[in-house]
Amino acid sequence: MRQRGSRMEGERRASFYIFLTPWILGFLLFMVVPIVWGFWTSLTNRMAFSTNVKFIGLANYLKLVQDPEILYSFQTTFIYALLHTCLAIVMGLIGALLLEREVPGRGVFRTILYFPYMIPIIAVGWIFRIFLERDTGFFNIVLMKLHLISANIAWLASYPLGSIVSLAIWQSGWSLIIFLGGLSTIPNELYEAATIDGANYFRRFSRIALPLLSPFIFFQFVSSMIYAMQTFIQSFILNVRQLRGEMLFVSPPPRETFFVMARGFFEVTGKNRFAYGLSVLWTLFVVVLLITIVFIRLGGFVVYTEVEEKR
Amino acid sequence: MAVERRTRKAAVTALKLLVLILLVVIFFLPLVSMVVTSLKTRDDLYRIPAIVWPKEPQWLNYITAWTMVRFGKFLLNSIILSVFYALPCIMSSCFAGYAFSRFQVRESRGVFLLVLSTMMIPYMVTVVPLYLLLTRIGLTDKMWLWLLFGMQGAPFLVFLFRQYFSTIPLSFEESARIDGAGRFQIFFYIMFPLVQTAVIIAGIFAFQWSWADFLQPILFLRGEKLPLAVKLAKGYVDQKESILYHIVMAGLLYYTLPIIILFFALQRRFISGLLSGGLKG
Repeated sequence: MRQRGSRMEGERRASFYIFLTPWILGFLLFMVVPIVWGFWTSLTNRMAFSTNVKFIGLANYLKLVQDPEILYSFQTTFIYALLHTCLAIVMGLIGALLLEREVPGRGVFRTILYFPYMIPIIAVGWIFRIFLERDTGFFNIVLMKLHLISANIAWLASYPLGSIVSLAIWQSGWSLIIFLGGLSTIPNELYEAATIDGANYFRRFSRIALPLLSPFIFFQFVSSMIYAMQTFIQSFILNVRQLRGEMLFVSPPPRETFFVMARGFFEVTGKNRFAYGLSVLWTLFVVVLLITIVFIRLGGFVVYTEVEEKR
Repeated sequence: MAVERRTRKAAVTALKLLVLILLVVIFFLPLVSMVVTSLKTRDDLYRIPAIVWPKEPQWLNYITAWTMVRFGKFLLNSIILSVFYALPCIMSSCFAGYAFSRFQVRESRGVFLLVLSTMMIPYMVTVVPLYLLLTRIGLTDKMWLWLLFGMQGAPFLVFLFRQYFSTIPLSFEESARIDGAGRFQIFFYIMFPLVQTAVIIAGIFAFQWSWADFLQPILFLRGEKLPLAVKLAKGYVDQKESILYHIVMAGLLYYTLPIIILFFALQRRFISGLLSGGLKG
């Protein structure tokens, strides 16, 4: 009997690894190898055409933490990621609450609010570059027509960070879907009971929907932070530099929106400083890991769980 | 009392509708701006005071966008790369999701956490060293690389497939196993057809990721093999390399159209599939 059990176990393990083989191969080839090699290279002085590559230990990292420009990049990247995440969550939450119950045309609204998320980020970058233009941009024209502003605002020049953040609002469809999924897990009886007890809309939201949604909000917060910390193309496109076709990545974007990812990429491809660029990217990796761990730890305090009730 | 309640409910619905319509209008503004810009002449672009609607819509821009860069060629490149990436990506994620939902062994949980934790790795930390490595062994400018890139699947899709497979009763496979079907027979003939919705969702995501990807093509491919994502930024320029924004906007419309069509054609199954199977678990 026991033998049969262990044979079953062996068979199950075989199946497990057989079906996991493509993933394992991909993981080793395209994640483990580049990451390890990248880290190793970041410990050397490799440049594009260097013949004399030496191991220099953590010198690149020491240089990096003393470089005010890089530190500034990290600061703006973090601020941006936080703004991006919070706005996308608020926007998604508003959308989800509006679409939660039966509203005429619910499916259509859901589709329309979701679909900017499907538009490739590179296209969104170009669209918003034109849209936010000072003198000819549609955004200023509309605001002027509505008499909300009295003079054209140079969004890209004066509010570069805000301009990039505005994409996050437009592309908040993903959090909308997550929160709609979350809201649909809340049993209707809870609302009904609360209504009978005389709870108004805001009370029902803050005492029922919000706590039960908190795991979804938390999940969205962490994954969106990870995603937004990696913003890169927008740095190069959404600014007031004169862009020239082949030169897109040759000149650095303005300092205010020169995010870490863009800086690492620029160091490697624009300046040919392979080792230094990789050390920038690796530092971002570590920072993202640390932030994730901290948030997951903090998450335990803010996320509602059923277990807590039994205290 | 009941009447009062009903009118209040109607008022709330009306208010919600109003806000929603306002949101939709705001959401459409950038797209309107894109379309209008694509119909302007080059002089119109910089005319002050700004014109909202061009006097004579330049429909020719849409032909220019097509002829200026041999658009068909680059469109084909985009399609090839996306399919090359999507197929192995779907397959590998599906395999992995199946493994995690059906073959629980001691280390399954740990491996699953490993899969999910790869989400935390910034993609440039893997792609840039990979580019440097592949250039060293001379493997650049090869479109088939995308077939390999897709092989590791995507953590989100693995999760999605696991959720979908978990909803299928075990008895389906057991009876097949008793009939003597092998593990691949069971997978392809019984399990795979049952997760069609997840395959569609995964397909849209994988296709869209690769279609939208800018970093890998700009690093791994050159000239004739570039996809639209890269070509749009580089192709529509005058002799002085200044970007012709009105043509870029026309090109962008072509570029986003396949994604939009794919999405709207399948959105019903897509969104409800995401809501019902994928996320609730």
